[in-house]
Amino acid sequence: MMAVNWAERISAFSRSPSRFLSGTTAEAFLAELLRELRDDRATYSVKVLLLSPLCEHPALLCPSDSVGEETALELMSVFAQCPPKSVQFRCHLLLALTSVLVCTSCVSGRSRASQDFLDLLLQIAEDTIDLHGDGAARSVRATACDCLRELEACSPGLLSQRLELLGGLRQREASRIHQAYAALHTLVLRNAVYQLTQQTGAGAEHLKALLGGNTSVAWEAEQDCSLMNDKDSAILSSLILGPMGTVPTLQTGPDCKELRSVLSSLLEDSYLLTPLCQAALLHRLTEVVSMVPGVPPAVFRAQLLRLLGTSEVCLLHTTLLMKCAFTDSLFSAEDEAFILKRLVVLSQHPLLSTPEKLFYMDCILHFPENRPISCGDGDETLPVLLTPRLASALVPTVFNDSATMLARFNLLSLVYLEEGVEGEGEGEGSRGLAYLYEHLTSLLDIVQSGGSREIIVTFFRAAFLFLFYFCQVERYSSGLTEKLCKLYLCHTYLAPHLINLADQTQDRLTESSWAVELLKALQVVITKAPLAQLTLQDLSQHLKMLTRVAEEGEIPQTNTLNFLSSIITPSSSSLSGDWRLGNSLLGVCRRLLVHPSLDSLLLPLADILQHLTCHYGNTDIQDHARLYYTLLTTLSREKLAGVLAQGLTEGGRQVKKRSLSSIMAEGEGLTSMLTIHRVEKAIFRLIEAGCEPRGEPQTEKGSDLTLNETESSPGEANVVLETYRAQFEDPNFASEVILDYQLTHMEAIDPHFSQLFSVRLHFNLTDNHYEELSDISVPCLFRERQPPKVRLRLKPRRPYPTTLHASAIFTTQDGLSWHTVLPDIHVAFQQAFMSPPAPPAWGRGGKQCLFEGLWDEISSEGGLNDPADCATSLFCCQLKEAALIALVEKHFLPYLISDLSDEEEFKVLFFLPPLSHILLKIRTEEDAVHFNIATDNWQLLPHISSYLLTITRYRKMLMANCDASLLVFKKRS
Amino acid sequence: MSVRALWIISHEKGENVSVRFSRRFATVEHRAKSLAGSSYIAVPEENTVLQLLLTELGLSDSEKSYVALRDDCLHRQRSPAMELRVDGPGKGILWPVLAISQGPLILACLPLVDAPVEPRPPLASLLSVSQGLTLLAGLQTFLLGPGGKPDSEGLASRLAMLPAILLQVCPLGSPLDVPILGAPATPTVPIPAGNQKQPVWKTGLHRGRAVVNVALIETVRSMQYGNRSRQDLWDVYGTVTCKCEVEGVLPNVMVTLTLPPNGSPLQDILVHPCVTSLDSSILTASSVDNYDGSAFSGPYKFPFSPPLEPFRLCSYTSQVPVPPILGSYRLKEEENQLHVSVTLKLHESVKNSFEYCEAHLPFFNRDQMGVVDVKVSSGQLDVSKEKNLLIWALGQKFPKSREVTMEGKISFSGPTPGPTDSLCTELTAYIKLYFKVPDMTLSGCSVDQHSVQVYSSAKPRIVTSRELLSKEYFIWNSTGTAPVSSGQMML
Repeated sequence: MMAVNWAERISAFSRSPSRFLSGTTAEAFLAELLRELRDDRATYSVKVLLLSPLCEHPALLCPSDSVGEETALELMSVFAQCPPKSVQFRCHLLLALTSVLVCTSCVSGRSRASQDFLDLLLQIAEDTIDLHGDGAARSVRATACDCLRELEACSPGLLSQRLELLGGLRQREASRIHQAYAALHTLVLRNAVYQLTQQTGAGAEHLKALLGGNTSVAWEAEQDCSLMNDKDSAILSSLILGPMGTVPTLQTGPDCKELRSVLSSLLEDSYLLTPLCQAALLHRLTEVVSMVPGVPPAVFRAQLLRLLGTSEVCLLHTTLLMKCAFTDSLFSAEDEAFILKRLVVLSQHPLLSTPEKLFYMDCILHFPENRPISCGDGDETLPVLLTPRLASALVPTVFNDSATMLARFNLLSLVYLEEGVEGEGEGEGSRGLAYLYEHLTSLLDIVQSGGSREIIVTFFRAAFLFLFYFCQVERYSSGLTEKLCKLYLCHTYLAPHLINLADQTQDRLTESSWAVELLKALQVVITKAPLAQLTLQDLSQHLKMLTRVAEEGEIPQTNTLNFLSSIITPSSSSLSGDWRLGNSLLGVCRRLLVHPSLDSLLLPLADILQHLTCHYGNTDIQDHARLYYTLLTTLSREKLAGVLAQGLTEGGRQVKKRSLSSIMAEGEGLTSMLTIHRVEKAIFRLIEAGCEPRGEPQTEKGSDLTLNETESSPGEANVVLETYRAQFEDPNFASEVILDYQLTHMEAIDPHFSQLFSVRLHFNLTDNHYEELSDISVPCLFRERQPPKVRLRLKPRRPYPTTLHASAIFTTQDGLSWHTVLPDIHVAFQQAFMSPPAPPAWGRGGKQCLFEGLWDEISSEGGLNDPADCATSLFCCQLKEAALIALVEKHFLPYLISDLSDEEEFKVLFFLPPLSHILLKIRTEEDAVHFNIATDNWQLLPHISSYLLTITRYRKMLMANCDASLLVFKKRS
Repeated sequence: MSVRALWIISHEKGENVSVRFSRRFATVEHRAKSLAGSSYIAVPEENTVLQLLLTELGLSDSEKSYVALRDDCLHRQRSPAMELRVDGPGKGILWPVLAISQGPLILACLPLVDAPVEPRPPLASLLSVSQGLTLLAGLQTFLLGPGGKPDSEGLASRLAMLPAILLQVCPLGSPLDVPILGAPATPTVPIPAGNQKQPVWKTGLHRGRAVVNVALIETVRSMQYGNRSRQDLWDVYGTVTCKCEVEGVLPNVMVTLTLPPNGSPLQDILVHPCVTSLDSSILTASSVDNYDGSAFSGPYKFPFSPPLEPFRLCSYTSQVPVPPILGSYRLKEEENQLHVSVTLKLHESVKNSFEYCEAHLPFFNRDQMGVVDVKVSSGQLDVSKEKNLLIWALGQKFPKSREVTMEGKISFSGPTPGPTDSLCTELTAYIKLYFKVPDMTLSGCSVDQHSVQVYSSAKPRIVTSRELLSKEYFIWNSTGTAPVSSGQMML
């Protein structure tokens, strides 16, 4: 067991918890972790590691509140036994406890463990005597404060009653950890004030009582219920949300001496905190002051100059949020102008990092103005004070990195747009626009001279921004079109970028026809360029482009057709029968077949198709061309459109939906044709077919239970076992669990799906306790007919309960293929039960012999089984005799070894593939019914006991005469 | 004001990408879930995040010239926060993901959105964003180590320290601090308990002789075009770095910057958070304002209580009337060779005493150099034919005339093509200057040794220094089309 490499296992878990847990269960892994944490031999550095899954994925490991509760109790007892010297481990334990309790909602439910933990944390936080004087206790104390703060953050109001205590602790603490106390105190204060604002009639008195720790005031009683209400997320949310946000207020009148003194003491010490904590503290206090109009925002004034001059991004950010909250009650018009200038300076400061500069630019576009004109719905808007002169410090240059350049481009575009860009050369707006265009041109020049992929992408993004804001300015937008065409001819590999630009401008700028103009111009340059130097690569890009051009009904396609016919004439030898190229050619033709001006294109298009049919050096292309030709020449326009249009109505380039009968050509078309559509809701499901007992597998079929006992008695117990075990030498022997299901429609589904064909079911395992399942085909599924039977053959590696994900692919009447997900299939533990696969000749006597043999072997030390895997256990419950018999009849009959009439002791034998057995001896004792359990696989114990618990509890409910059940485990190792 | 998760990724120019460290903060995730309600998007597993992040950063599929997800022109690459488009069962957009990248490291985190998620709140309303940026930058500095270029062992050992460090700086997802870099040079003792509250950013007490070291470094950048239609540009910024070894829990130190009479005022002053108070006049001058001549011009007083480790006390920018070295660069294409003519003039106000001064003349998009027939009036010329680069080392001094020239012809007849660049095509070419002048600043700003005050019992030793450094100092060929670097002057 020492060989377990925890570092590797833990890192495997954290890389992919789902994959890791498919090899075990969360329950087992948690048990392992807890066991190791208790193990004295493990080092504390390993134990710290063991805690990380609990810190990072507590909800995964503790799926229910009760597991969370138990885990927390375990961890707390580990904490109690941990020597004070292991500081790191103690701290991590506190973090793990916090995570487990918060994420399993034990804290919000005020569970026993969470109360204990809260007491523990408060006790640590209050215990300021440092016995060793080495600061070790101090670290744990700081962590305890952090944990308390997180508990308060996740369950606001949790510590409201302790406000005075926490304030006192904060004030008394002089060592560096006063920061942790300050952060805790501030958050609790903020949440407590928030809660007061939510109570009708709360006022100055309540606030005073709260701060003075006088909890006798009436609101205490209401407090608990106010915690868990629906407003939970509102109290979690920041209260400083710009002009749209409303802050709840507490009417106190002007006299808030106590609150003011707390605030000023917190602010006084704020300088001593790290910038990150200062920022958080100031933000919390800003919220408090904005909730209590009785306290003037001027309490912050003494801090302002220090904050405005700071080089720390989070401190300046806090100041901006303060401005957002208090506007002109704290910041004058001069302050506002100063802050804006400061933001412009910081947005291009040589000493700041790119993300910081981008962040400041974002702050300019969401500047908290004292008197905002618009209500600021989250969109970017320019502050009134941002003049073109001021903004000129942020003009984009070719030396900027991509993100900076685009951010500046966007900002300046907004500035110039505001100034007005119409009119030649006059005014800041049009001069600025001229600059932006020039900048775009220099980017284009760089792309032209072979810029990197990054610069290409940046250029197209800048071009999009330019068009987005200025496409109405004819002289630039048409200039850009021209330049783009030239650029394309030099670098045809830019075709996808250009198509993307055309697509996006068309989508976003519905008023503008720029995209169509661009495509038209590209069609001209492509079709007019001399063919002589045309490479195969260029040609394939050209065809891509022309395909896109042909999507536009407004663009005449004669040029395109001329181009096509000139490249397929015999004189141009470049077309050697390349399949891809042929496909690209057909792609253009296909678009042309549905073009609105088809009538005028008919003859040349037919010529081209015929030429391809006869002369193209690839049979597949010839066939397709022939089909198109036939369609074109025989179908009426309407029919042709009907056959082909389905994919185009969606806007062509979107996900293409086509029926099977639709005809396609281009490479992408092939794949899109094979596209399987997705149904969001489940259409059908698998339900368990009637609970007929799962008899012994095939081998038992037809065997007669009433077979004469004596005639087939196989002899001594060990011989019986030997014979029985010999069967398992064939690894396929009795290795499958067979489950029968019916495939049925869900209620209320689209009638479109009421007749389904070629349903292919696919199953995915959620763990690796079973072998992969093969797909199952069902020929058809009609709503009105008998549901088809589906038989799952599960091959367990370990016969644990499991869940299967199921999905299906099927075809509807109209020939479309669909993919759907079925509800998960839960395989219960008892579904793997089978009668022991005894040789057919044995009959009851043989099985009894087998039972006794196995029982003895498991109960004794020896035997063939690995004794480490064997275990016995006892399950007790109170059942009346009749109830017991009913229970046995209902659940155990197929597996009953003893005679049903022998009511003194029932013997039950479950076989679970591949190789496990569970034996039960059920006997009514004086006090209760005893289920003596023996198994050769101890890992099944928790499952069998929970199964027994379920069925007996059910009985109990039925009979209403049973008390608590008792469960005893006795594992032998 | 918390982060939901943190990732540290290493790569070699986009290859061999791996997540080296990741941390999820479960309790913050729990809050994210209740805040977002039905719009909640869970953080996917590590590999998924990695793929999405690389796509967003434009680092995925580097062999493909166009990938729709990566290269769409609608993409908002201009924001510091990215969107990760999560597919599959937990489908949705994960926002705002912050990422910073330097050298082989990418650091990313996902700040908590503590505001209603619909409509999406502006970044500027989320304090967790600036806090996340600060945390990432702090971790980056720590991981890259001294010099900013980690070896793989150093990186691995620092990554191994992260769990312990996060326990200090971000135990439950709320960033509290950034890692402290290295131990202070001199021995310290723990601060004894007392009534005086200790600054959190100070890890111990200095014991021993008081020493205060103040270093002022000014950096000058320039773009010179030698062209009437394009105004030359230059700017200067300064940083004051301090290292203070002073006794006491919260000792007071004051550093004063002074300017010569009629020096132009220091602008855009930014100060370290340990500065206790500031005079509002110090902050008024800004580089984006009209300078009206009446602005405050010092002395600039910075009272502070120092941390133990070296720190940047303040920074400023300054507008100086002339660049320190004015250059002219002319290239002429003559048959198969290039005629080169360069003049560099050192301004009279600049001390003619360099630690080093070099001019680099790279040539791009040409064959390798063949014959280099170039004369210089002063200094030494090195020719690197493989790199198509001339290095003109000017040494410690300009000649008395304060002017140096280079004249000659270069033929590009080498057997193989030289380096390429998409910006410097045809006659677009530049000289880049590298120089350092000790004991001077362009703005005239200085820290007088006697002006540094330490309010403590022992008399401290005070060391001050200053220097001028060049950075991005370009002189463009005036016969070619130089790329525009700033439109500020045109408007």
